[in-house]
Amino acid sequence: MRSRNWRRSLWYLLLALVAAPFLVMYVGFFLRAFGEGMTLGIIPRQWGITSFRFMWQPIAWGLGRTTMWAAFGNTVVFATVSGLVVTAVCMLAGYALSRVEFRGKDFFLVLQLILHAVPGQILLIAIFFLLLYLGLLHRLSGVALARASLEIPLGIWMAKGFFDGIPWDVERSAMVDGCNRFQVWYRIFLPLVRPGIAAVFIWGFLFAWHDFIYVYTLLPGTIKLMSTLIQNLLATEVVDYGYLAALSLVYTIPPLALFVFLQRALLKVPVFGGKGTA
Amino acid sequence: MRDVLRKRSGRGALAFFMGPSAALVVLFYFVPVILTFLIAFTSMGRTLLWDFIGLGNFARLFGIGARDPLVPRILVNTVVFTLGALPVTVIGGLLISVFSMRVRPGAGLFFRSVFFIPRALPPVVWGFLWAWSFEGTRYGLFNAIRSAVGLPIVQWLIRYPMIIVVLANGFLGISLAMLVFSAAIATIPRDLTRAAEVDGASEGQITRHIILPLLRWPILTMTAWHLMSFLNSYVYVMLITGGGPYYMTEVWSLYAYHMAFVQYRYGYGAAFVVLLVVVNVSLLLLVLRAFGMRRMLTRGKIEV
Repeated sequence: MRSRNWRRSLWYLLLALVAAPFLVMYVGFFLRAFGEGMTLGIIPRQWGITSFRFMWQPIAWGLGRTTMWAAFGNTVVFATVSGLVVTAVCMLAGYALSRVEFRGKDFFLVLQLILHAVPGQILLIAIFFLLLYLGLLHRLSGVALARASLEIPLGIWMAKGFFDGIPWDVERSAMVDGCNRFQVWYRIFLPLVRPGIAAVFIWGFLFAWHDFIYVYTLLPGTIKLMSTLIQNLLATEVVDYGYLAALSLVYTIPPLALFVFLQRALLKVPVFGGKGTA
Repeated sequence: MRDVLRKRSGRGALAFFMGPSAALVVLFYFVPVILTFLIAFTSMGRTLLWDFIGLGNFARLFGIGARDPLVPRILVNTVVFTLGALPVTVIGGLLISVFSMRVRPGAGLFFRSVFFIPRALPPVVWGFLWAWSFEGTRYGLFNAIRSAVGLPIVQWLIRYPMIIVVLANGFLGISLAMLVFSAAIATIPRDLTRAAEVDGASEGQITRHIILPLLRWPILTMTAWHLMSFLNSYVYVMLITGGGPYYMTEVWSLYAYHMAFVQYRYGYGAAFVVLLVVVNVSLLLLVLRAFGMRRMLTRGKIEV
């Protein structure tokens, strides 16, 4: 027993050793955002919100200036459009893949897994030209559409999973009563998979909110988002790290709140029996 | 009763449900791949004119005729980066999930949360955290702490750039691998470990002979997944070191990006992407052969 206790403390020690630098980074990040005048490296002399002055002051961007709110608003629009596209497309496909038999269904499902494994960001050069020829380059909506397509493969699997959870009897009775496929989907299934809709939307929203490389490459400086704003400030000569830490917090926290909500929504999957035989 | 459900839902209904997703998949995956191949055979530059030059870009890439002196270095960087980050993710994720299961549940959850945080952060913020922590002046986090205790300042990003980008990517991978492994360990029936315990197996033996063999499938999945992920990853490298100092962390996909969007040599950049796509597809075929299509449809299960 003695050796077991000794070994247990060894595991604590190992975990703590690996976690320590990260804890220092995260704690330092918060202290830098809320502290003013650092002593001993990372201990703030006093607390304050001067680092959050971007809330009421303009931010320099190249020779011009912008505000945090403009970037925040753009990010909200970008992420919402992207999230809605993902939701609409995946809710349609997820239903058919769960309920309708058709040729090439298994192939399509495996294809989605494969596409999810291939990071779409390597095709950025071609996406650039594609959007250019479609006349969508440098447009928030066009880039949001391109970004949404990256999350569709996994979104389809998520949506299918939610539809799979609904018993066949629900559908059978609706169809006996004379509903067609569209009515079944719209009137019966969509209300039942509301948690699924929330989950898929938040999924698409979150990744678009976090996106950097697409908006950095495909949207010019005139449309600023939170991610490009932070990158732009990080790339300047003199970096105010407290200011950047505070800005990063304002950028990071809203989607984290959504993460919590996502977990709640995922837990509320309707569980009334498995899929029947049909 | 079956007739109702079997009633053919016509082509129209199928097009309505599957049309949008199929269209987007074709538009944003297949068309770009074809476009990349086409652009790779042109000298597409700032003018955006289609000027086919045959295999010119590939000749230059492979060092036939006018060669690109940076290609060998980038190849080595890519291999070092991928093979460096992969064990960090898979072995690190495995160790963390095994260890965090052994300590008290509360403590285990705490450690898993700490290692999960990177996944919840936007890339720009994760990049900022690393760039700031390893900043080479006294304003950087670790240098501030060092100078506070009287140690000299270290130019982290100049002296150890590759280690830093490998760790930044590796720990991002750990957050996913750890989650998958922990979930898999949690589904192992208690009876198995209990029985071994009763037979007098030590915790090390249980891990080696019971848990690890049962984790074979998740380990394989995570290895294949992250191999592809790191091979194609450039965003974090771009944010932390920008490929520098002097191409020391410039990986294949980042070089393609820089060629296209910094030097405006789209054709040459696309040639690099073409090779990357070829490597990806070969890897995928290998993985598909090893895993089997049927198993991919019912994935993520532990086989006891």
